[in-house]
Amino acid sequence: MAIAKAERLMNLALCLLGTRRPLSKRELRESIEAYVEAFGPGQGAAGSDDSFNRMFERDKDDLRELGLVIETVESIDGEVGYLARRDSNRLPPITLDAEEAAALGLAAKVWQQARLAGAASGALQKLRAAGLPEDVDPYGAHSALEPRIPVHEAAFEPLMLACRDRRPVVFDYRKSNAAHPEQRHVEPWALECWRGHWYLAGFDRERGAERVFRLSRITGKVRSRGGRYTAPVPDVVTVRETVASWAGETADRSARIRLRTGAGYPLRAKATAVRERGDGWDELEIPYGHGLDAWLVEFGPDVVVLDPAELRADVMDRLRAVAEG
Amino acid sequence: MTGKPVRPVNAIDQTRRMLSLVTYLKERPGARIADVARAFGISEEELVSDLDVLPMCGTSFRGGDLLDIDTDGERIWWHNPAALGAEAAEPLRLAADEATALLVAARAVATLPGLRESDRQALLRATAKVEAAAGEAAGASSRLSVTFESEGGVFADVDRAISERRRLWIRYYSPARDELTEREIDPIRLVSVGHTYVEAWCRRSEARRTFRLDRVAEIKILDAPSAPPETELRDLSEGLVQPAAEDPEVVVEVGPGGRWVAEYYPHDSAEELPDGGLRITLRTPDPASLRRLALRLGRDGRIVSPRALADSARRAAREALAAYDGIEAAEAAGTARASAPGAELQARPACSVPGGGHHEGRE
Repeated sequence: MAIAKAERLMNLALCLLGTRRPLSKRELRESIEAYVEAFGPGQGAAGSDDSFNRMFERDKDDLRELGLVIETVESIDGEVGYLARRDSNRLPPITLDAEEAAALGLAAKVWQQARLAGAASGALQKLRAAGLPEDVDPYGAHSALEPRIPVHEAAFEPLMLACRDRRPVVFDYRKSNAAHPEQRHVEPWALECWRGHWYLAGFDRERGAERVFRLSRITGKVRSRGGRYTAPVPDVVTVRETVASWAGETADRSARIRLRTGAGYPLRAKATAVRERGDGWDELEIPYGHGLDAWLVEFGPDVVVLDPAELRADVMDRLRAVAEG
Repeated sequence: MTGKPVRPVNAIDQTRRMLSLVTYLKERPGARIADVARAFGISEEELVSDLDVLPMCGTSFRGGDLLDIDTDGERIWWHNPAALGAEAAEPLRLAADEATALLVAARAVATLPGLRESDRQALLRATAKVEAAAGEAAGASSRLSVTFESEGGVFADVDRAISERRRLWIRYYSPARDELTEREIDPIRLVSVGHTYVEAWCRRSEARRTFRLDRVAEIKILDAPSAPPETELRDLSEGLVQPAAEDPEVVVEVGPGGRWVAEYYPHDSAEELPDGGLRITLRTPDPASLRRLALRLGRDGRIVSPRALADSARRAAREALAAYDGIEAAEAAGTARASAPGAELQARPACSVPGGGHHEGRE
């Protein structure tokens, strides 16, 4: 049976960390059993050098993903060597008390996405190895809180990596009211999760402006593009404000409605003024922003819009569509 | 990739873990398997599988300096700790993804309103220390952010009731019936998945229920002790709403403007329609609760079945429209008298199209 990848990576990491002088590719190939077993010691069968080289490059990339800083050094006689210097790989001293440790322990558990869950536990394990206190668990008697960050969107991981590495991407996106998806070329800036949904903010190359995308509306694969960003990345990216305005939470006007007594608690909770009429109806002033018409229609015959007339017309139009449907 | 917290045998994760493990074990001869597994947040089986790999590892297999680590099933012994030079056993710096995952989560948890102040302070201190220790690797963490939302006061009361094991009285809004009900509940735990919920034993329905905190209109902590029956906690990672197979089926057809329904309602299937719409099949214990959805959809969709639901939405819409007859007539009379100059109202088209066209679902 081929030697497991974890064993091979572990040996490569230990060799690179344990050496004081750069090790050549040949030395590493001869020192690590997994390489010897797969490719023979040096100059093996035809083609085996190429496949060894490919595997060696992938392994180095994997170790770099884990945070290992691997240096490539060329010696006087032109041979390339590799090493992971202690100075560049050592965790700086960090001292956390029991409460801080418990708080981080809680935080490390919130990801529901495999890659980030793995990375968060990995971070905690490194801190543990560095002496992060254990066993004192203030949440033991108080484990009531279970925050979870949901990630159900397939586009999340490729976009997270693209944001991290600042790589332009292309994806098909279906706007909320569009029949067909459209291809979008985007320089991704940041991802934000709000009310359980993920959004991407970035520079839309065709539109030449900032856009916010909802990840669940991305259809198909997210593909990376080479090259650099063409637009500057702002210091502060505001995803939530944009999304809130879609959701009609940026009210700039006020509306007056009649609401049946006892009905429509959420409308009452938002009302700026409530007046009892004494005839089974109350009169409310509520903030009027985008999307209010759709919300009011949900209450059916328990709501009557008094003004503005534009809102009343929108609500009646929606009601007619259902009445005739 | 789904949101379920899976831990596949991932070579990267295992390598990362083993690198920390050797540092950790070097300092702790005879460490107990159970303790180490807990400290590393892994199962004992996972730890044992790591211990199977470690004796095959070393700084050079030719040099014969493989790590001589073994276990008697209870404790872990390392017979040649010197095989790993002091240098190769130092704690490793955090990778960019590790710093991002931990810092973003920590910042998110710190935004939870109602988090105990001492816990929040501890979290903020820890975040600052990790940021400093991560150095450059912390940079990319600003490209990811998460906000939990919950009603602060309600959260604090529920949190307190859970830790003091006391019963709660709530006035709770049910959007399905548009009504407030009073209930006594024995709280079990708080869950944040987008919105924040309390899972509790509801004494009114004598069943386990989840309540969304932003729908709690009023709350009181009672003196009575909380005594929820012992039951196994559900895995909520697949979502809080888990319709049962025996629930009645509802079929909704939406146009392109109603596609958001598939994003907001857990469903069995969503078939693409030629016009860019969807035919969505979902289950709910109470189809009447979807009348709101039917009304909201308007021209963007219709209920295909059950018939009774489609009919009740139609009746509600007609009844609602009837209420406007009186108002429009009265206003027409009023406007004619009051606003002779520039009567804007009359110029308005009978059916205006709503502004944006983004129909974000609101549950």
